[in-house]
Amino acid sequence: MLRVENIDVCYGIIPAVRELTLTVGQGQIVTLVGANGAGKTTTLKAIMGVLFPREGAIYYVDEDITRLPADKRVRKGIVLIPEGRHVFSKLSVRDNLTLGAYHRTDREGVRKDRERIYELFPMLKERESQLAGTLSGGEQQMLALGRGLMGHPDLLLLDEPSLGLAPIILEEIYEVIREINKSGITILLVEQNISMAMRIADYAYVMETGKVRTEGKSEEVMKRENIMKAYLGE
Amino acid sequence: MEYLLQQIFNGVVFGAMYALLALGMTVIYGILRLIHFAHGALITVGGFIFYVFFTMLGLPFVAAMGIVIAFGGLLGIVLNVIAYRKVVGGPEVSMLITSLGFYIFIENLMKLIATPQPYPFKPPAFLDRIYSQWIITFRTVDIFIIITSVAIMLLFNLFIRKTKIGKAMIATAESGETARMVGINVNRIINLAFIIASAIAAITGFMWGSKYGQISYDMGFMAGVKAFVAIVIGGVGSIPGAMLGGLILGMLEMFSVAFLPPGYAGYRDGIVFFILILILIIRPSGILGEKEVK
Repeated sequence: MLRVENIDVCYGIIPAVRELTLTVGQGQIVTLVGANGAGKTTTLKAIMGVLFPREGAIYYVDEDITRLPADKRVRKGIVLIPEGRHVFSKLSVRDNLTLGAYHRTDREGVRKDRERIYELFPMLKERESQLAGTLSGGEQQMLALGRGLMGHPDLLLLDEPSLGLAPIILEEIYEVIREINKSGITILLVEQNISMAMRIADYAYVMETGKVRTEGKSEEVMKRENIMKAYLGE
Repeated sequence: MEYLLQQIFNGVVFGAMYALLALGMTVIYGILRLIHFAHGALITVGGFIFYVFFTMLGLPFVAAMGIVIAFGGLLGIVLNVIAYRKVVGGPEVSMLITSLGFYIFIENLMKLIATPQPYPFKPPAFLDRIYSQWIITFRTVDIFIIITSVAIMLLFNLFIRKTKIGKAMIATAESGETARMVGINVNRIINLAFIIASAIAAITGFMWGSKYGQISYDMGFMAGVKAFVAIVIGGVGSIPGAMLGGLILGMLEMFSVAFLPPGYAGYRDGIVFFILILILIIRPSGILGEKEVK
């Protein structure tokens, strides 16, 4: 479904990702793990079209999208839920969800999706008219997820959904991620919380200083404990 | 008492114009983090366009106003596309220099086209009637300025709160990157911000000319700088702050002219900047501004 081939991405003149290749198959959960600064977020941003690679190409459903701007990629079904939640704090919960469906014109579908998200996160319905900035960290993460789902994605890019969350809420969020995947949405998950990510993912890439160091089925990568120690410092 | 009321009224009229300019600059600042000094040039252009189409060509008032608004909006897009799009996201200094440079460019262009001498500017007859039978003396154009300003601010508020594009504008102001991630075409939002802000500034050009009775190629400079002062007083980035700042600035200016000894009236601009410095010392984030995060 998604094929990233040999991309180099730079922040200004500083290279953040080098010769990165990865594939995500339809319906899979693939995770990209690694320490802070390994280039995971940069990779997601390049897939989303917020950053553009200097070299290499990105294919989505066999189409070259390397130069496509982000808003066009959203229309093709790619949605990124950014790290640190980044909800629109000065807008209400409801307006945040509305903007998640910014490009959609099927009012009926948007309404249905909103109902579904309220079922998934009843808390969001209770706080519908509250400003997003006043929500707790966990609630903001749920809103960010909800906003992403409003875009009706086929491929969901998740950047560190566990960041700064209490363990109970973390379990809840991961349960939802699993459900989202079951409903047919392909997921590329970036995490620092490796054990959590490995449990949920089918396939894993381990990144270090901008490169993929190892990859494989999650269980296999987990078994190579020495690798984990060497590259992840766990 | 009557004298005081008269000065308050004058302050409100000038304050309304500053508020309109400050509103436009704030909208652009919010989205681009750009202090848009070239905004003042739109006033000059608006005033001259009105002069050409109304006074010289004799078009009806409404038509001339329509052309002023359309031209202002168009010029806003042109500014954005040729001047700013390339420097957005770069260092703030390069954006600032670009906007100053553009102001100077437009001012000189106006000087070339219109010559340096000022032109007498008269609003249409129905806006030029003087009434003095009730407590204060006013012209109908004063009422026009107040009503139009309030209407523009209410409409803008409605637009930003109730429409999807308005909400997208708030979202873009908060984070352009996140806005792009949800599928908002940020360039289009930026263009829209320039259209709205510039059209409002062009209308203000008409008000400004009617109020001062003349227009000249450099009228936009002080107007732009004062709008910036209004923004700082109200709190940079806050829309209600910009409106409040404009109003306060108008009042302060009128009061400093009205209540200081006669010889000091010439210092009104100096007094405005003195107050700006005071506010920067006492409350650097302005009256309604958010506290600096950094």
